[in-house]
Order: sequence, then structure tokens, then C-alpha cells
Amino acid sequence: MTDAGVTAVRASGLRLGVLLLAGLLAACGQNEPPWELRNISGLMPTLDFTLTGASDGATVHGKDFRGKVVLLYFGYTHCPDVCPTTLALLSHAVKALGTSADQVRVLFVSVDPARDTLDQLKTYAAAFGPEIVGLRGSEAELKALTKRYRVSYGYGKPDASGAYEVSHSSAVYVFDREGEIRLLIGSTDSAAVITGDLQRLLAETTGASS
Amino acid sequence: MKRVLFSVLMLGMVMVACAGQPPVSVSDARIRWLPGDLPMAGYFVITSQAPGPLRLVGAASPDFGGVMLHRSVEEAGMARMVHVDGVDLTPGQSVAFAPGGYHLMLMNRTRDLHTGEDVPVTLQFGDGETLVVSFRVTGVQGE
Repeated sequence: MTDAGVTAVRASGLRLGVLLLAGLLAACGQNEPPWELRNISGLMPTLDFTLTGASDGATVHGKDFRGKVVLLYFGYTHCPDVCPTTLALLSHAVKALGTSADQVRVLFVSVDPARDTLDQLKTYAAAFGPEIVGLRGSEAELKALTKRYRVSYGYGKPDASGAYEVSHSSAVYVFDREGEIRLLIGSTDSAAVITGDLQRLLAETTGASS
Repeated sequence: MKRVLFSVLMLGMVMVACAGQPPVSVSDARIRWLPGDLPMAGYFVITSQAPGPLRLVGAASPDFGGVMLHRSVEEAGMARMVHVDGVDLTPGQSVAFAPGGYHLMLMNRTRDLHTGEDVPVTLQFGDGETLVVSFRVTGVQGE
């Protein structure tokens, strides 16, 4: 081998070493196995809103939930299939946490405040369990929240009886104890997968979310 | 003579089939309870044993003001319900009315309903035949 050849080999060895080191550093940066749910850390603003709680009619702010892991879901009570299916799934996943279930809240925000009175939302949320929090907002409050999380919804044409369908985002956003967005639950995720990732989030110590 | 007898028998069977219930089996029929007078979803699995195509075109129940065939669809992260005119049943193949897909929307209950009780629902088919199926009312968790 010529000197030039040796130099070339050494150079490429060095380059490989640098690449490996970079790869290791990148891995250290994540230093955790991937989440089962979709990781959307940093892609949305921290949990913040002003709404009215259905359970007692009091004003509720996003920051009131700091210290809890929060699942944020948008729907409406006149929704016979998708909303109760999703809420039942989330409720099941949270209950499976056992004694830690109290550290998690599922916020069910109505995108149909015209029909969803506080009383109606209260009864509806209570039917699923104490982990479900029914929330209602004025049009402006709802607009601010849905815009913040890029959630869309729309109303269909009312039928002869005045009933109408509501289309709504099917996503469930998961925030950690510090109110930072972390994960996205999709319609195909199982209760076991959700429970597993919630356990991991609950096990995090404050400041470990970045 | 035997052939005539056979033909008469066959005719008799066909007539019984026409006058009776459609050759379908339904299993796991349930309604998920929701509070107040909120519309609820009915789920079931239906299998046709008919020799030819059969179409489910509607449903009705004395316990509800209205029952509709619906389907939930998810497009680009948005969930919505669409009205369905009918569902074609292929002989020997099961169609599941299940969460997140086809379901009955049962509206305006005519009486209080409780978890664990049975509700009669009449399934209506394209040829005018009907089948009364007993639906069990389950809790919100589907239990």
C-alpha cells in the first residue's frame, strides 16, 4: 500500500469514528426506547385554556392540571359511536394504571356547546368515570383552544328534527405533568399501549421531559 | 311421481322461506347505554345464508323514535358519521357493525333503558323481509 493509500484509509477511519460518535451522542440525546404512541414532543404549545368545568360550573384553566398527566380530547355528547368508544378506551387505559389513575385526567372538551349544556356534559362524563373531566367553553374560548392545537370541527346540516352531525378531530393529545405536549393517541392505538406509555410518563421526574 | 313430490316439497320450502324470516344469523347484538336521551349505537355481527345477495336497508324498534344505519368514517384525522342507505350482505360472509364503523344509531328512546336489559330491534331487508333481534343494553364501557 502506498503512503497516499494509508492516509486515505486513516482518513476514512477517522470519518467513520466521527460518524459513530455523532450517532452515539444522538442516541444519548434520546437515551430512551421509542414511545409506543406517536411522539409529538415540542410540536404544540403547552397546555393552556380557559373553559368551564361541567362538574361544578367553575372556571378551569389549563395550568390547573400541572402535576397531572393530561389527555385532551374533543367531541360531543350526541355522538353515539366514536366519542363513547374513544372515552371508553381512554377510561379503560387510565383505570388499568391502578392507584396511579388519579394522576391522570382525560379532558373531554365539547365542540358542540349549543347542545352540550354543563348538566348534560356532567352526566355524560360521570357515566364513564371520575378520570373524565367534561369541559365547555364559549365560542371564543373554544376557538382559542382549538386554534392553539390546530383542532378542527364542523357542523352538518340539521335534519327535520333539528338534529345535526358534528365532525371533529379524532386525535387525543397527551401532555406531561409540566403541561408539555408529548404524545398523540390515534384511533388504532390499544388500551394496553396507552397504559404503557402513560406509565412511562408518570414515572418521569420533573424536568426530564426535554 | 317422486319428482312431482320433490317439486311440491321444494315449492313448499321456497314459500316458507318467502313468508318467514330471511336466512341470516345475527350475533353479539348490543346497544351501548348513554345517559339522558342521547342517541346510542347498536352493534352486531350479521351473516347471510341466503343463496343470493341480500341487502340490509333499515331498522326500527318500539323503544326508540328512530333507528338509522350509520357509518363512522375517519378522514385526515377527522371523525364523522355518514348515513348509510343499505349494507349488502354477501352469502356466507359476516359483516360486523362495530365501534368506529357501521352501527345503528338509536334515537329518542321511548322509555328509560337500563344496562342488562334486552331491547327488540327489527332489521329490515331489501326484499321486504324483517328479522326481530334482541339487543342487550351494555354499560358505557361496553361491558
